[in-house]
Amino acid sequence: MAKLTTRVSFIEGSLGLLLLALLVRSAQVQLFQGARWSAEAKQARTEHVVLEAPRGALLDRHGTPIALTQETYHVGIAPNELRDPDHDPETIARVLHLPLMKVEDELSRHYAYFAGPFTAGTVQGLRDVRGVHLEPVLNRFYPSPDFARAFIGRAGEGGQKPSGLERTLDTLLAGTPGAAVVLKDRAGREYDSPARRLQSPVPGNDVVLTLDAELQEIAQRSLRLALEKMDADGGDVVMLDPATGEVLAVASERRDGVSRPSAFIDAYEPGSVAKIFTAAALIADHRISLTDRVSGENGKYKMQDRTLVDDHPLPTLNLADAIRVSSNIAMAKFVTRLDHDDEYGMLRDFGLGTPTGIEFPAEASGRLALPKEWSRPTPTSLAIGYEVSVTPLQIAAAYGAIANDGVLLEPTLVREVRAPNGDILYRHQPEPVRRVVSPAVARELRQLLAGVVSSGGTGASAALATFTLAAKTGTSRQVVNGHYKAGAYNASFAALFPADHPQLVVVVKVENPRKGSYFAAETAAPVTRAMLEQALASRTVALDRARLSAVAPAAGVGELEEDPGLAPYVVSWPPAHDTAAPAPPRPVPDVSGRTLRDAVRLLHRRGFHVVIKGWGSVQKTWPAAGVEAAAGSLVTVFGDTPQ
Amino acid sequence: MVLKGRHWVMIWLLAFLVAAGSVVARQTAALRIARALNQARDSLSSLQSRRTEYERRIRQAASRSVLVPRAQALGLRLPADSEIVIQPVPDTGGP
Repeated sequence: MAKLTTRVSFIEGSLGLLLLALLVRSAQVQLFQGARWSAEAKQARTEHVVLEAPRGALLDRHGTPIALTQETYHVGIAPNELRDPDHDPETIARVLHLPLMKVEDELSRHYAYFAGPFTAGTVQGLRDVRGVHLEPVLNRFYPSPDFARAFIGRAGEGGQKPSGLERTLDTLLAGTPGAAVVLKDRAGREYDSPARRLQSPVPGNDVVLTLDAELQEIAQRSLRLALEKMDADGGDVVMLDPATGEVLAVASERRDGVSRPSAFIDAYEPGSVAKIFTAAALIADHRISLTDRVSGENGKYKMQDRTLVDDHPLPTLNLADAIRVSSNIAMAKFVTRLDHDDEYGMLRDFGLGTPTGIEFPAEASGRLALPKEWSRPTPTSLAIGYEVSVTPLQIAAAYGAIANDGVLLEPTLVREVRAPNGDILYRHQPEPVRRVVSPAVARELRQLLAGVVSSGGTGASAALATFTLAAKTGTSRQVVNGHYKAGAYNASFAALFPADHPQLVVVVKVENPRKGSYFAAETAAPVTRAMLEQALASRTVALDRARLSAVAPAAGVGELEEDPGLAPYVVSWPPAHDTAAPAPPRPVPDVSGRTLRDAVRLLHRRGFHVVIKGWGSVQKTWPAAGVEAAAGSLVTVFGDTPQ
Repeated sequence: MVLKGRHWVMIWLLAFLVAAGSVVARQTAALRIARALNQARDSLSSLQSRRTEYERRIRQAASRSVLVPRAQALGLRLPADSEIVIQPVPDTGGP
């Protein structure tokens, strides 16, 4: 019995000790290690995550998206959670557009993962499939991948650095990431909880570029076709608005397919395109009269260091002739009237040898040596566009100064920056760099350039029938590895459109054209003309057509009846309501017997809107001729051939 | 009437059931709303994705590289600048 009592006591004691041990351990866990275990448990159940901020959009000047950020997904699948393992793989393969074999192979693992990224539309069919876990990830999307690709760059996903404008504008486009705590279950699956969002992500700003999508497409396509046709190595096009410095289109193409923003980063010797800058110095410093003439030397002029040759020799030339036929000999003779400092100063003032300041990483500055570094032939070389290197953008900016009455503007690619809530944070205003020449000198320079596109000028092939153009051709030898390459040329053409009150500066450069002529007059000039014709035919290109209609001579159009004058079509924003009395009614003019085009023009001038019914000559109008109608009312014109 | 012990038990039980029921109802409603919110978010994301895709296809279809060859195949051509008449904006007597 005693033995039994002893045993019971032993068991009781053991249980007591066990209980005591439990109490001690509990006290240790709860009282002394409580904080640590609590933190560990919290860490196991929750996780701090960074909420990625959507990157701002890049838009063209009309709001056409160039780069957008959209939510895409990686797809993870837990095979053991699938409800229908026989049929689910087929569904997954069909929805993700993947081979069934590949999906089945992945599903044989512990956890299948398809990186994609897949769009929200693609994965929509998988949202209700149990065992499928969608991992959202923000992705940069370019609706037109080829749109100014070398200049727009890429946002730099996967740890890569952004390039191009995406890099320059990164601080504006990148938003501020947010932070949140998500709940996790035992399997590690995360559950978003709005209540546990610590800081919401702030999306990046939208940036409206100065580029015009339509003009950009015209530039890219025209350049690509030209390079194919001429079998050229590459080329560049820059178009900018001289009144604001806004770059409307910029294209760089290379036949080898390499995407390089060469219009901004590759400097070359411009050749005769630069002659106008020396002419500017001669005129501005009163070193020449427009009637001064020099001998053309029968097209061949032997100097101390070299022999100059003119492709279009004239017996004697004044400055206008020298620019018109691009005479090296005349420019070499005229430049002797300039001091070195004056010649250098003018080239420098036009921005040569200095980066333009455009918002682009690694813009080239080109090269313009200081006068103290010049050799004896340097002044002559500079006068004909050698011993100086420029980018097409620098040429465009310098010609923009001539168009802009002598004021050099800083070119820009950024028109507007908008906050995520739509507030305008920045709107571009023209940024003058300096006045290079007076308005009178700039006007004279435009007249000189207009001569180039006239009959007998080197740029006549770019002439338009309706609008005058002011331009300059340039064909220079190509430098390869520091030496002139035999038979290789750069053909360039710089134009102001139209010659009076220019709205566009167009610079075209073609590198080493092999098929046909290598002269700019027959390579770059026709490309310019083709682009301008397309721009005119396009409805959306950023041209002020009211101003164009004012400067266009009425080619082939007969005199109409009295002209009530042009109304400038200027809309201020926000629009001011019209407080003036409405215009009085006016009689509908008699246009019967006229061509439809004439009739429409006349009715527009009288302030009516027009609808045309039928073809041929005008038979009648409604309201009829002589009936009084309100300005802005609709007049239907009936042609003599019914529709 | 004097409330006896079992009445108090019933009252407390009822109060507990009401409180528990309201918690369950609120949580059920919250879960339903959260599910609807998730679905709406998914739909929005899906629609945005489709819009982006349509925009891309429209841009591609309306691009010159597609349109110009088709127009040329139809015998159309780009007008020369002399064939383009820019109509002056009529003077409607406004300011």
